[in-house]
Amino acid sequence: MKVLRWLAFALLTLVLSVILMVRTIGAGLGAMSVENGDWVTSTNTGSTDAGIMLKATIALGGLLASTREDSMYYRLSSVDGEPLRLNCRYLIEGDDYDANWWSITAYGWDNYLIPNKLKRYSFNNENIVRKEDGSWQIYLAAGEQHGNWLPVGSSGAPTWRKLTDYDFDLLLRLYTPGRAYLDEPQSAALPTVTLEGCA
Amino acid sequence: MKWLRTILKWCLGIFLCAWVGQYLLALVIPNLVMEILYQRGGVETDYNALFVNPRPDETMRKVVRPSPDLLYASCIFNLEQGPVVIESPVPERYWSMQFYQMNTDNFAGITNQRDQVYRIGTVVEVTLIGPDRNPGDYSGEVIQSPTQRGIMLLRASGIGDDTSARAALEKSSCRPA
Repeated sequence: MKVLRWLAFALLTLVLSVILMVRTIGAGLGAMSVENGDWVTSTNTGSTDAGIMLKATIALGGLLASTREDSMYYRLSSVDGEPLRLNCRYLIEGDDYDANWWSITAYGWDNYLIPNKLKRYSFNNENIVRKEDGSWQIYLAAGEQHGNWLPVGSSGAPTWRKLTDYDFDLLLRLYTPGRAYLDEPQSAALPTVTLEGCA
Repeated sequence: MKWLRTILKWCLGIFLCAWVGQYLLALVIPNLVMEILYQRGGVETDYNALFVNPRPDETMRKVVRPSPDLLYASCIFNLEQGPVVIESPVPERYWSMQFYQMNTDNFAGITNQRDQVYRIGTVVEVTLIGPDRNPGDYSGEVIQSPTQRGIMLLRASGIGDDTSARAALEKSSCRPA
């Protein structure tokens, strides 16, 4: 009976530790990260200065990340507070950015590339089709779209493992970012993402 | 009332242990994830040898959030038996050589960007030594790893014409000194 009691104690402690860790990571990331509209970036990713909670987060969701002088990562998982959904269509609009090159990639909630027939997972500054003025638009949706279509769909992992409120997210990578991103990541120019409608 | 006090005591104990436990858990996770990567990598290829990865797609599930716009090559190193020499031709477009220790810290890196653009067109040759070695005993470009084990990752831009980036990775090597 005593052994059973201690076993229950250990199990409950472990479960509560995981819950508290997830909560602390969520709250802590707010303090460690910088918001720029709906995009979020961390100023310590890949750095030896990263705290233990950030390191745990990176290990689970962005292992082997570069330091921000090498590349900056802006993540977007919701638009105006609404998590990204597979039954909705989104419009990403942008221009060129002060970086050696950039790319926008869609990832499933499982943090891996999303299976799709076209094997198209991202757009970058070279393969994107631009308007005459150099600006561009990307349609983000599960169903086929005209122009720059970034397909999304079900993640490769089984759905019982899904713990996120969003179905997929976006990662903007800026390689060798300019001073504006390093010094003022909260206000530097980024693409805008808008919800066009849901089925 | 005694049973209520006992339950409260247990709850307090669980909460206090869990509060400390969350930090211990967070401390363990990066090492655990890297250890899995290290062990899996050892099955895929030898330690202290370069592995050029195919271009990432949805089937690549070795590392989370792979970039489909990058070409990757990795060397899982173990310096217990001595230093490792890493060579890589540097292409014109974005290229980097990053070193990670077993707690995920990016402890060193070389690129062909910013004040290192002079590296374009050269061949980088790095001697990677363990924490127990003296850097002064080695010549050329020497990087000291804080841990005996870790991962070196080569990244090269794969956008547009990736011929030179691919060739650079395929000509790269990682081998015991």
